[in-house]
Amino acid sequence: MKIIDPHIHMTSRTTDDYEAMAAAGIVAIVEPAFWLGQPRTSAGSFVDYFNSLLGWERFRASQFGIRHFCTIGLNPKEANNPRLADEVIALMPRYLNKDGVVAVGEIGFDDQTDEEERYFARQVELAREHNLPVLVHTPHRDKKQGTARSLALIRSLSFPEERVLIDHNDEETLPLVLDSGCWAGHTIYPNTKMDEHRMVALVKRYGTSRIIVNSAADWGISDPLKVPKTIDVMRRQGIEDRDIRTIVWDNPLAFFTQSGRFDLSDIDQPEPVDRSKVFESNSVLRGERIVAHHKS
Amino acid sequence: MTLAGALLAILRAQIDGRTAEWLTTSIDEAAGGELPRLLHIYTDASRWLGSAPLVLDVADTSRSRALAGIPMQHWAIEDAGRIVFLLTRFDARRDSGDDCVAAAAACYEQGDTREQRSWLRTAGLLPRPELLLPLVIDACRTSIVPLFEAIACENPFPATHFPDRNFNQLVLKALFNGIAMRRIVGLTSRLNPELSRMACDYANERRAAGRPVPADISTVSTGGATARYH
Repeated sequence: MKIIDPHIHMTSRTTDDYEAMAAAGIVAIVEPAFWLGQPRTSAGSFVDYFNSLLGWERFRASQFGIRHFCTIGLNPKEANNPRLADEVIALMPRYLNKDGVVAVGEIGFDDQTDEEERYFARQVELAREHNLPVLVHTPHRDKKQGTARSLALIRSLSFPEERVLIDHNDEETLPLVLDSGCWAGHTIYPNTKMDEHRMVALVKRYGTSRIIVNSAADWGISDPLKVPKTIDVMRRQGIEDRDIRTIVWDNPLAFFTQSGRFDLSDIDQPEPVDRSKVFESNSVLRGERIVAHHKS
Repeated sequence: MTLAGALLAILRAQIDGRTAEWLTTSIDEAAGGELPRLLHIYTDASRWLGSAPLVLDVADTSRSRALAGIPMQHWAIEDAGRIVFLLTRFDARRDSGDDCVAAAAACYEQGDTREQRSWLRTAGLLPRPELLLPLVIDACRTSIVPLFEAIACENPFPATHFPDRNFNQLVLKALFNGIAMRRIVGLTSRLNPELSRMACDYANERRAAGRPVPADISTVSTGGATARYH
């Protein structure tokens, strides 16, 4: 089964991860711009980060036959730094026009401050101006309230709800999202957020409409194979392949296709991976020719 | 005895002669030197003073009065040295219009994890700590648990200076990180209905996920109103 991981932070991951992901059937990924685990001190760090999402990381993924797309945004944590936030917002329009940028995100709430709300709203307007969908992060703390506030803000801005993906849902927030017109993402993590078995229970209870799963793997304890691992558990617990395909392929494809830049129509005729290619004279694979190391 | 004097006496009791010389010179330079010199000294405290626990001997009653209520039993030697440097600088430049707050902020912003930990543990002892409040609130966003603990635990700063919203977020983040509620200084004086509501929601979220609820969540969750989300 072909798989999309619609939320994964590959800049924090290794080539071993790319190799294992490709072997497990992941053919396309979306890498949302987020924070780096510690606060950036200047807008220049964002310029370099956005450039790497659009260039270097896409090239790295291509070396493993994986299509890499990204979202661009000012994350809610760093929205609280007024020195930085306005400069980053000023940078965004030139990035939002670029190929492979399939949404504005991750935006949303962290501490649920007034500043977070202001930059959340402003970036929703940027999405409208650039005709892009929106990827919304829901907070770790006070999650249900943060989700309700996010949905209320989207509604108050009259932004089309079918162009919004609310991410990191759990048992408490999913009903709120499904009551709206937004899509519902679920992050399958080893210890926090959602796990595979709870995800199966949610699918059995709520069905597959507008349901999406991702690994959100990053620099913390996380697992870039969580989408294929969730598929395994779904199969073992009797969910039909047709429904699984809806969740791991049709839904993320339908959501991000709204950007006009998420084209996987030629995915069945992938270009042969040429690992002797270089990116600005740097080869990820040090000139190694393609050798498949499929894990058994 | 001033706070800086009392701290210095405690420090001197547990450092060797060479370190004492360095400390004397560094205090003068921290007070009178340019900002880059202060930053240099603030960093050097890691090497000269180290992170061994501060040994407290406050038999001198005048000294103990100056130190009353300061949770130094949780400090390292370097923490005491760093706050002495900043206190001395503030005192020496009291009337000069020099921006000591900006200098103190630079020590945090350019600090490594140990320097930031010292800074966060002791920021509340500086004159006009409310000017440092935005920096301390922003520091709560850290993913480095020991830094978060430097603010949230055994530190009266949040209960004394944080607005409710930031205080509540700090308590939730402590629960999220498995930090015991008893480590938050002044928690019972800052309980409020919104915190209680947030803690109840967190307990519900944990139960819905089949995960254990922190046993001490009742410290903050009792009396919480049921929230409406539609």
